[in-house]
Amino acid sequence: MTTTRSDHDDDDLLAAELALGLLDPADAARATARLASDPDFARAHDRWLTYAAGLTASVPETAPPPQVWAAIADALPANDDAPATGWLARAGVWQAATLAASLAALVMGFAVWQRSAPPPVPNVVAPAAAPPLVAVLSGTAGVVSVAYDPGSGRLASVVSGIADPARAVELWVIPADGRPRSLGLLARDRPGWRVAPGSAAQALRAGVVLAVSLEPAGGSPTGLPTGPVILTGKLQQAG
Amino acid sequence: MAQAAGFGAGDDAGFSLDRALMRVADGDRAAFDALYHRTSAKLFGVTLRILPLRHEAEEVLQDIYLSVWRRAATFDPARGSAMTWLITLARNRAVDRLRGTGRRLTDPIELADAVADPAPDAETLAIAGDDAGRLGQCLDRLDAGDARLIRTAFFDGASYAELAERTARPLGTIKSRIRRALIGLRECLA
Repeated sequence: MTTTRSDHDDDDLLAAELALGLLDPADAARATARLASDPDFARAHDRWLTYAAGLTASVPETAPPPQVWAAIADALPANDDAPATGWLARAGVWQAATLAASLAALVMGFAVWQRSAPPPVPNVVAPAAAPPLVAVLSGTAGVVSVAYDPGSGRLASVVSGIADPARAVELWVIPADGRPRSLGLLARDRPGWRVAPGSAAQALRAGVVLAVSLEPAGGSPTGLPTGPVILTGKLQQAG
Repeated sequence: MAQAAGFGAGDDAGFSLDRALMRVADGDRAAFDALYHRTSAKLFGVTLRILPLRHEAEEVLQDIYLSVWRRAATFDPARGSAMTWLITLARNRAVDRLRGTGRRLTDPIELADAVADPAPDAETLAIAGDDAGRLGQCLDRLDAGDARLIRTAFFDGASYAELAERTARPLGTIKSRIRRALIGLRECLA
């Protein structure tokens, strides 16, 4: 062993600094690169990550609202391998427009169901709410149809014809200020639901532009589109 | 970890978060469901601590668990617990969002000892387990300003340079101060 005690200590400190996020981006990148080639350094980093996670012991637990789990479950791949992707992939914009209209009906229907349950009320009539908005996004590859119900805040989507399974499909709204707000990741193999996140939901109105970009798995790490924008479309009142 | 609703046949004592996460890696949705319901209050708490706007924290929590689903295979129990893996992922995601949206936290950090920190109570630490409990005790032994710097780095994603700015201290002073504190922590935890 030629490693001196002080080298060892310096490495341990560097591992701590990396684990706690103290390093500037260039130093962090260099230290991260070392994790792959230096097992001792990686072990020290793992140990400091455990300590760092312990900092959250003082953070009170807060149960998230149930719609978060609903949205997560909806975004997971379906259990069955329904052949839906096949025909959806071949569907053109015209069919997608029909689909968007159906989605709008669905999203309204869901809102009614949500308001009325429980208990189940027969002959439910939708209250006079803002009409749903729909968009068909087209561009270089595939088609995405989106329906949004301002009453319930729910956003429904159908993705078709987007290959590139390695990357996530992220939906954005681009309001007048030009700064995209993420509407989250879209399920690509079946229709998906989610509650539009509040900051972005405020921008969802007729005439606003929606866009789809391809992002790393898990979505854009920066909160702004980092991958190519492949589809765009305008949100409009349904029917 | 707090006890949560039963898993499978209600075999609560036999529940292992590590095993659940490894089953998620195999695409086991029941394991994912159980994992979510046992850990989401913790991870939502952490996310809210970093992103105080509820709707934003909810959105990031969705993306955190979708990442858990996709990346569970990268969990290696030899390197740390499932809870550490989950907290690290959640913290990094929330901090990425905080910083990616161009927000910069500039609130001054007071280094004087007199400022009260919301210290974790003994019960919270007991629930969190021995390691976290020890960390809490060791942080308490540090100068209060040092402990605050370490917490701020973790929860705000603040680098040395930003901590120097927010404490109005020279970068070199802050660096050596935090390094001394980290050495103290390491000795206390060893």
